[in-house]
Amino acid sequence: MIAFAVELRLARFDLRAEARLEGGVTAIMGPSGSGKTSLLEVLAGLRRGARGRVAIGGEVVLDTERGVRLPPERRRVGYVPQDAALLPHLTALRNVRFGARGDRARVDSAIETLELAPLLERYPLSLSGGEKQRVALARALASDPRLLLLDEPLAALDVALRERILPYLLRIRDEWRVPALYVTHNVGEAVALADRVLLLRDGAVEALGAPLDLLAMPVLAEAAAAGIENLLQGRVSSHDEAGGVTRVVLDGGAEVAIPLARERLVGTPVVLAVRAEDVLVTTGAIAGLSARNVLPARVLSLERTGPDVTLRCATDGGTPPWLVRLTPAAVAALGLRPGATVSLAVKSHSVRVV
Amino acid sequence: MRGMNAGIRAIALGLTLLLPGRAVAEEVVILAATSLTDALREIGEGYEATSGNHLTFNFGASNDLARQIRAGAPADVFFSADLAQMEGLEREGLVRRADRLDVLSNLLSAIVPVGSTLDIRGPRDLLEVKYLALASPEAVPAGVYAKRYLESIGLWDDIKAKVVPTLDVRATLAAVEAGHADAGIVYRTDAALSKRVRTAFDVPRGQGPPIVYPLAPIATSKRGEAAAAVVRYLVGPEALAVYQRFGFLVILGR
Amino acid sequence: MLAAGDVEMVLFTIQIALLGTALNLVPGTAAALFLARYRGPGKEAIETVLSLPLVLPPTAVGILLLRALARRGLLGTLLGDLGIEIVFTWKAVLLATMVMSFPLLVRSARTAFEEVDPRLVGIARTLGCGPARAFFRVTLPLAWRGILAGSVLAFSRALGEFGATVMVAGNIPGRTQTLPLAIFHYDQIGRDDRALALVGVTVVLAFVALWSAELVSRRRSGRTAA
Repeated sequence: MIAFAVELRLARFDLRAEARLEGGVTAIMGPSGSGKTSLLEVLAGLRRGARGRVAIGGEVVLDTERGVRLPPERRRVGYVPQDAALLPHLTALRNVRFGARGDRARVDSAIETLELAPLLERYPLSLSGGEKQRVALARALASDPRLLLLDEPLAALDVALRERILPYLLRIRDEWRVPALYVTHNVGEAVALADRVLLLRDGAVEALGAPLDLLAMPVLAEAAAAGIENLLQGRVSSHDEAGGVTRVVLDGGAEVAIPLARERLVGTPVVLAVRAEDVLVTTGAIAGLSARNVLPARVLSLERTGPDVTLRCATDGGTPPWLVRLTPAAVAALGLRPGATVSLAVKSHSVRVV
Repeated sequence: MRGMNAGIRAIALGLTLLLPGRAVAEEVVILAATSLTDALREIGEGYEATSGNHLTFNFGASNDLARQIRAGAPADVFFSADLAQMEGLEREGLVRRADRLDVLSNLLSAIVPVGSTLDIRGPRDLLEVKYLALASPEAVPAGVYAKRYLESIGLWDDIKAKVVPTLDVRATLAAVEAGHADAGIVYRTDAALSKRVRTAFDVPRGQGPPIVYPLAPIATSKRGEAAAAVVRYLVGPEALAVYQRFGFLVILGR
Repeated sequence: MLAAGDVEMVLFTIQIALLGTALNLVPGTAAALFLARYRGPGKEAIETVLSLPLVLPPTAVGILLLRALARRGLLGTLLGDLGIEIVFTWKAVLLATMVMSFPLLVRSARTAFEEVDPRLVGIARTLGCGPARAFFRVTLPLAWRGILAGSVLAFSRALGEFGATVMVAGNIPGRTQTLPLAIFHYDQIGRDDRALALVGVTVVLAFVALWSAELVSRRRSGRTAA
């Protein structure tokens, strides 16, 4: 449980954030430069100018009015910054042990959770980005923290790597059960890991709530749109064993088929993701197409994004517009313009459950 | 057009001023021992007034000056505080023996800071001091003379551990004036000039080593005529009167 | 090749330079750390004062030291009462050497400290290190190479110190004469051969100092990031 009400003068605005968070993982999201990292630093005790009140696990670590200001080493907070910040002159093992105060059991446990055994004698210089992050996570865990502060730990990694580290984070959440604040831009990570999302904008808490409730907020939609994924919410409606698909009814009413996912019980909410480049566009009627998902849509806009063109298309049902990535040749061949009526086709395999 | 002609003429005129010629005053460079500083400055003013030539003095320890001459420093006249340095140059052909004149002599004095409470009346009393300043006894004439004196009275071995060598005789004077050294040995002519030191005792004529100040034009000088003229003036009647006033002994012609 | 007294004189010079550098190490490192971290008022003033021996002519520093330490000087009278004499003794050589080489050490060490990513120190703090432990376990291990470079620089400067030394310690053979002073002295008395022999010694010493520092620095650099 952590509670804070803090103020910090920053370059462009003042951070003035206040919240009470019961255990679990809280995703901290918001536009770049909204003070997310600064907030973490204040909680860790690394920002001298911070004023206000912070209580971690019931202990008051900062109370400007009463003159209480615990230095970082007494707060028992595990901080994992974006670039891991491993101590370059120590091996991975010594990094992990650094804050452990001799607790071998804890160290071994952290090493096991993050599967670091083969890396232990290596120096940070020779580790890959993902390996460094794992060492940094183990190091934070080994110090027996009351609170974990993770600052976009997966941001510097490529998508494939992110997928591989995510399970470790899930393991930390489920097995270690240390309350955590998790700064991220990535909606998928937030949805996967967090019990709640805290939205920070211009230094102030704009919203605090369940991840999916906040997905509709413009900020997050922007974040999602800036990425390459279309996010769809819906509920599992049925499983088709013979056909090998599970059907999901989206909030807007449309139906989408995904590869069979029996473990998802009928009626449970689910978030689906489709990459913009996996969406096919057709202007004519569709017959004899293998794709199981065909949605009528209307082109809203076209935008040049690097070598490609990104289309925004509205489908029936009021979901956020779909993003579709095509080559300029394709756009020209189909004569696509704003207002054009099309159909979007997506293979069931291209639909991912987040 | 007309402006250009005038400009060219001006430049031509300016260029002629750079050419060496009889009409232009000569500059003569004299390297001299530091103990001669005050006397030579006065004599130099007199010379410049009468001859129209310009004198540049470079005062220093005679061994250092000799070194500079050997290294090719542009110098026309050398006035040394001892024969050793002059003879060294003679051996290397930088000075002609025939041109050399032995002009002055001097005497040594032991000095103490003016406020000193030490009671030093004779050389043996010098053993009481902590630091005795001497111009470097290995090469600077004033120090060489002092060492020879102390050796001649059998005091050198006992006193050499107290010696603080300085760069030249005026530096010795300064060290005693400032109190860095309890006592020092300098020329009588130097002791007389400073109000911040007093003479503890003089080294009598017969007891000290013979001191000779030789003067000569430098053979490699490019202003041979002017150098010779300066040398003649430096041993002329006006100059000799000035040396004597400062306390030097004139030995010329003996 | 070297005269009898010269070997002792060379050893004396090396001893003084080593001792001076060693004595400067802790205050120099502390000053460097202070300059690297402190951001309050008066910082420029302190910076300037500490850099003065680097910028002033050595003889100027020498005169200032002499005035302060001489019998009638500020410190001289105090030290005299305690029975401590510094001027014209090896202690003056040590002092002059230390004063002149101090800023070099501070400069290099400061740069080394400034190059240590402060986030690493912050991380160490969150992992339970107080400021002192964080210094010894993170800052120092990452900065030691710069401190070493600064020490070598200071040592070399100490070996070659002339202007301030000659003023405050005098050029007394057998007592305060160091290598550079001896070179000057031999040149003054016309013994260029001896002077050049000593120049050769200086070159060898400088070479050894730099080379060994390079060795030590390189041996550990393979594993950590620059």
